Amino acid sequence: MTVIHYVNQFFAGLGGEEAADHEPVRFDGPQGPGRALVAAGLPIDLTVACGDDRFALHEADCLATLLTWIEDAGADVVVCGPSFGSGRYGYACGVLARELGRRGTAVVAAMTPDSPGVLASEGAAYIVPTTAHVAGMRDAVPLVASLASRLASGEPVGSPEEEGYLPRGLRVNIRSDELGAERAIGLVLAKLAGDVRTEIAPPTDRVAPPDPLPDPSTALVALVTEAGCVPQGNPDRLPTRHANVWLRYPIGDRAELAPEDYVSVHAGFDTTEANRDPDRLVPLDAARALVAAGRLGQIYDEFFTTTGVDTPVAVSTRMGQEIGVELRNAGVDAVILTGT
Amino acid sequence: MSHTRADLEIAAFAIDEVVEGTLTGRDGATLLVASPQLAVGAGEPALAEATVEVVRPGDRVRITNVLDAVVPDVRADDPTATFPGVLGGSWSGAPRPRIHRLDGVTVLPVCDWRAAGLVGPEEFPPSYVDMAGPGQDRSPWGSTANIVLRCVPARGASIADADAAIRRAALKIARTLAATTLDAVTDDVRRVGTLADADPGLPAVCAILQVASEGPLTDTFFDGADLRDLMPKVIDPAWLTAGRLTNGAYDWPGVRNTTANYQDLALVRALERAHGDTLRFAGLILAPGYLDTAEAKRRGAEASAALANELGAAGAICTTFSSGNSHTDTMLTVRALESRGIATTALVCETNGGLTDHVVEADCLVSTGNEDELVPAWTPDRIVGGGDGEAGRAIAMVHYLGSCVETGDGPWTAVPA
Repeated sequence: MTVIHYVNQFFAGLGGEEAADHEPVRFDGPQGPGRALVAAGLPIDLTVACGDDRFALHEADCLATLLTWIEDAGADVVVCGPSFGSGRYGYACGVLARELGRRGTAVVAAMTPDSPGVLASEGAAYIVPTTAHVAGMRDAVPLVASLASRLASGEPVGSPEEEGYLPRGLRVNIRSDELGAERAIGLVLAKLAGDVRTEIAPPTDRVAPPDPLPDPSTALVALVTEAGCVPQGNPDRLPTRHANVWLRYPIGDRAELAPEDYVSVHAGFDTTEANRDPDRLVPLDAARALVAAGRLGQIYDEFFTTTGVDTPVAVSTRMGQEIGVELRNAGVDAVILTGT
Repeated sequence: MSHTRADLEIAAFAIDEVVEGTLTGRDGATLLVASPQLAVGAGEPALAEATVEVVRPGDRVRITNVLDAVVPDVRADDPTATFPGVLGGSWSGAPRPRIHRLDGVTVLPVCDWRAAGLVGPEEFPPSYVDMAGPGQDRSPWGSTANIVLRCVPARGASIADADAAIRRAALKIARTLAATTLDAVTDDVRRVGTLADADPGLPAVCAILQVASEGPLTDTFFDGADLRDLMPKVIDPAWLTAGRLTNGAYDWPGVRNTTANYQDLALVRALERAHGDTLRFAGLILAPGYLDTAEAKRRGAEASAALANELGAAGAICTTFSSGNSHTDTMLTVRALESRGIATTALVCETNGGLTDHVVEADCLVSTGNEDELVPAWTPDRIVGGGDGEAGRAIAMVHYLGSCVETGDGPWTAVPA
């Protein structure tokens, strides 16, 4: 069993805020709270650490280094934190957990339920809830150690209610004794008898439309699309489907989006016609015309883009909220959102 | 609305073992497969190469670039009319069709379109069947003996021609294998088609089978013709069993409707079993999914619901074809059915982010599993089908052929964690 522990600069003993830009570093054996995990029965083979600011400002580079070390060590389980109420540390734990989860590595983390790391982990980690302060260490460590030990040895882990970790928002696969067809017949017959049951109960989220703009001729309007419109060559590698990221690109003083400069990487429709005129994906030409005619105030000088193919509602919601925050902070009054 | 149903006999021959030999034949429950002979028989001008290999459950093999799964069938009364419209013959005029079918054996055509230069990177997702390891039980074809037909398109062949050749070749091999039973008898015979009269007090339930046909490599075929202009229509369920509906759509493998699914649709079988006991099977509607526009989706949903109404259905079960766009077709169909007072359930797969689409009327759903769940890493001894097969990496469920199929043919479901 190989166990790896991720901590920030403070818990690695590198220093406080003055060491927050510390580059990734690794130590044999436990550091800081890792010793408490060892005392709780979880051996720590390797500790990897990174400064909180360094991770936030150089996420891709730090992740690449940490993931390489963890992969080289052959981790059976990775423990992240506890990060308690620290936003930057929690975020780093969550992102690392998410990436490890995508590689099939089990992760246990510990943080406050409102930590940004919970959302960032996208359900990849078993997250033990903690208090906001380090005083919660004593309560968190036994459960973290227990979960990590069992995950590393392939033993089953119970439900969130049974174990005490935060619900991951995940749905795990199990084999039913009945085929889907038989279950469907059972459900429809029950429904006909007045007993409405379901195997999936998604949240219902209805968004009320906002009030009309009081005066569009003074409005700052942004262009946002899920059409997968990116600069030629897709320099930031926007996924063609299943995207969970959005990107932004400067518009500058362009009057339109020329086909030699922009392309759609969207895998959900035939892009041939759209790529002959990317303005049909992001209608910059029409928006400029409306500004020239005095019907819109200004066009925000960046457009936002992602690929809307097989994108779950929860991921779309998160991306929309993130883009919304950016636009609101920039003083944008309205958005033209183009879909495919 | 009423429609006649064809009477059809299915004679099943169990195969326990597949042995490679110099001649293709059958000895009791042992199928003898002459792989080179089958491959030669598969010769098509649009294919540069076609090879056949047998893989069995327990082999440490990952089959890659899997396009489809086909159950070996032959029309015993007229072998030339097997898979009508694709291999020849036609359905109409058949006096009393009888299908001979091999159980426990599947034909899996594979083709690496990207290596052939016919599609771009990431255009089609990886498609696997594992014969051992943690992913073996994800695909139903991890537990059957598989005759893998590996095809390489000829240089200069169009995608459509190469695909048509591969589909023909796979169906031919399926027919050839099943033809080993032509002079044999079996006790395992069931009849499909005409249903006995049922208590009119039982609720009438119909099924809506969603398919999609968008172009080469994303088509579904009826009697060999693509269904790009399909409008919802009532069809005889026996037509599926007879091999009239075949697959040529190779998008997400976990939620792909294979030809094998159509040949023995669990939903039809379950409804026929329940007919006269707990319900009346009101009929089967073939409906399009992956429609391009909001208007087409609305029109398709309303047309399906109108047909269900004409069938006198009190309840309906909607299947879903693939993921993403088609889930909107399913949800709109649920809404249209419910608006007519038809109690409806739908089969849909889930993702780590929930459902792709949902309407409030969809309050009775069957989960066919979470397609995003990772199957633990496994390193096979051998890859059959080309590429590295992502050996040693965790792989999402959706890459295993048929794992989360939304026709009701699979056992998987998802629960909270």
